[in-house]
Amino acid sequence: MTGKRTNQKIAFWIFRILGLVVVAILFWILGFIIYHGAGVINWKFLTTAPTDGMTGGGIFPAIVGTFCLIIGSMIVAFPLGVMSAIYTTEYAGNGKIVKFIRVMTNNLGSIPSIIFGLFGMALFVNTLGFGDSIIAGSFTLGLLALPLVIRTTEEALKAVPDSYRTGSLALGATKLQTIWRVVLPSAFPNITTGLILSIGRVSGETAPILFTAAAYFLPKLPSSIYDQVMALPYHLYVIATSGTDLEATRPIAYGTALVLIIIVLGMNLLASFMRRHFGKKVKTN
Amino acid sequence: MIEAKNIDFYYGDFHALKNINMVMEDHTVTAFIGPSGCGKSTFLRLFNRMNDLIPGARLEGECLIDGKNIYDKSVVVDELRKNVGMVFQKPNPFPKSIFENVAYGLRVNGVKDKAFIAQKVEESLKGAALWEEVKDKLKKSAYELSGGQQQRLCIARALAVSPSILLMDEPASALDPISTSKIEELIHSLKNDYTIVIVTHNMQQAARVSDKTGFFMLGELVEYNDTKKMFLNPDKVQTQNYITGRFG
Amino acid sequence: MIMKHTEKELTLLRDEVSQMWGLVLSQLEKARQAYMNNDAELAREVASREKRVDTYELKIDSDCENYIALFGPVAVDLRLVLSLIKISGTLERIADFADGIARQVISGSCMAIPDSLKEDLRIDKMFATVISMLSDCFVALESENTKLSGHILAKDDIVDEILHDDKRVLAEYIQQDPQQALPALETMLVLRKIERIGDHCGNIVEEIVFYIDAKILKHNRNNEKE
Repeated sequence: MTGKRTNQKIAFWIFRILGLVVVAILFWILGFIIYHGAGVINWKFLTTAPTDGMTGGGIFPAIVGTFCLIIGSMIVAFPLGVMSAIYTTEYAGNGKIVKFIRVMTNNLGSIPSIIFGLFGMALFVNTLGFGDSIIAGSFTLGLLALPLVIRTTEEALKAVPDSYRTGSLALGATKLQTIWRVVLPSAFPNITTGLILSIGRVSGETAPILFTAAAYFLPKLPSSIYDQVMALPYHLYVIATSGTDLEATRPIAYGTALVLIIIVLGMNLLASFMRRHFGKKVKTN
Repeated sequence: MIEAKNIDFYYGDFHALKNINMVMEDHTVTAFIGPSGCGKSTFLRLFNRMNDLIPGARLEGECLIDGKNIYDKSVVVDELRKNVGMVFQKPNPFPKSIFENVAYGLRVNGVKDKAFIAQKVEESLKGAALWEEVKDKLKKSAYELSGGQQQRLCIARALAVSPSILLMDEPASALDPISTSKIEELIHSLKNDYTIVIVTHNMQQAARVSDKTGFFMLGELVEYNDTKKMFLNPDKVQTQNYITGRFG
Repeated sequence: MIMKHTEKELTLLRDEVSQMWGLVLSQLEKARQAYMNNDAELAREVASREKRVDTYELKIDSDCENYIALFGPVAVDLRLVLSLIKISGTLERIADFADGIARQVISGSCMAIPDSLKEDLRIDKMFATVISMLSDCFVALESENTKLSGHILAKDDIVDEILHDDKRVLAEYIQQDPQQALPALETMLVLRKIERIGDHCGNIVEEIVFYIDAKILKHNRNNEKE
């Protein structure tokens, strides 16, 4: 009896410690970045372009570029992903085609991101002639985000109880009406969450934009979707590895990292906030 | 009038319903009883073609409502389901407000007139004996209601599209005794305006609410009789064994 | 509060019993008048109405069976239905006795006895007592009040006493005029029937007490009195 109890206690303590280790690692990284980067961040750092061969000035064009790419990639991935998820979960049943689509979607998700970069360069930059541009980068990042969007949307749709569907159909609604008026509104919070999580993923990617959108140094804002842009992750890579004076740019690198982390964490927080907010709203509407 | 003629139904290779013939008169309550898996729910779902949704299902024979075969090619399923409402075992209101739940059927059928919708919602809620309890909180979520109220909301939702037939698939099996008795009272009062077919596991419920009872076993309609006759002096020994609890 | 449909069914059932009760009371009253006034016409009316009482009994029985089969009553509802079945049976028996008396009137078998003897036998008093017992029972059921029960049962004792005395009166009558032995014995049968009606009213009281207070008076009524 006591032996069992003791074993249980020991086991729980091991689990607890391991859990705390994970948290500790996160806080360590955050703390490290904040410690080194917080001093750099000020209004000027966020709103001006880099100067003095990127050893001075701010990162404003990179922030704007990153947001452009995020928005662009979501415009590509969201409708495509949601619609194909609706097809596979609501319409296609459980046949061989759907299974094939599902396996392929997962395979798409496991392709290394640098391959997406190469593919994007080949297709969008060269074949379609977009050049290194926001649009080419958006398409490439969109393709990268697609499996994630599809999978989270599928999960969101599957989480909608079947009783909603049968209830709606039994009232004389068509399948499309059922999806549009009952299923999608119910799944919306979870779909949004999936979307925001994929934004988090996209905003941190370097490889896919390496050959398709990102500029090494471009201290001006883009004026059209066919312009090149700077982006935070690539900028970070550049100033950490190939700047003119690595020691002088170290604080700027930490500052950039901090901004990037804040954006990603902010997205995750927004996701959980929206899930809760819409979760409530959907039920009362 | 609902008529089933020589109905055979298959789930893939499984012969779920075997040569069933039955007539249900207007403005009556017909109850289907029988052990689990006897086919009574399957039979019920034939009448609003809910079984269409099941892959591999196959039907032989004719289902007639007011003389028209509802499996005829010319029948539009949505229109059929408007005429044949359904209430499910577990209350399944949509995650919308009480008002929108009842208005849903009207909206999907293209009704835009706001005054008409409001009037119909009120009528339906009154018809389902729920109006007094919810009239001050129509904008509140349907999920703030109790289980029994949710089920009556689902009944109101079905009434809103003015069906002539109501199918109920164990409508009270997830409810407490008080809510159950409210639903039973409701069924009794709805009989005046609707033809009601109810599947129930609870034999006493069948006895209390129905005019006629059909007893199903292993996909066959063993006996179909006046409820009084069925519960006092059934024609078939199997029926007697089942309703007296001697079965199996 | 709107009445539930199961309650409505129960009310209908009670109404039927009330109607039957009214019919049996009028049968009994008419049998009494027919007997006291040697009115064969009225007696025929009683005899012809006997069928209606039987019909009521059958109807109430089958309605009670249906009620139990369909609604599975419990507690007070179950007691009510059970007692209504028994009460309707008892009422039918009472009506049978009224019918029997009426038939004796029609056959004229006991009419030869003089009115003075009827007087001595206190037959009218017996009739009046059992009729009031039966109507008191009805009031007790309608008002769901068992306070009357002791009062009703006491009346049964009065009937029993009268019958006890009557045996002696009739015996003397036969001794005085052995020619009249046959009508006297016929009269004894009438008295006996009235006495049985009193007993049946007692049974009805027991059923009412069972329904309302869930007490069993049957077979230990005497202990109760002590």
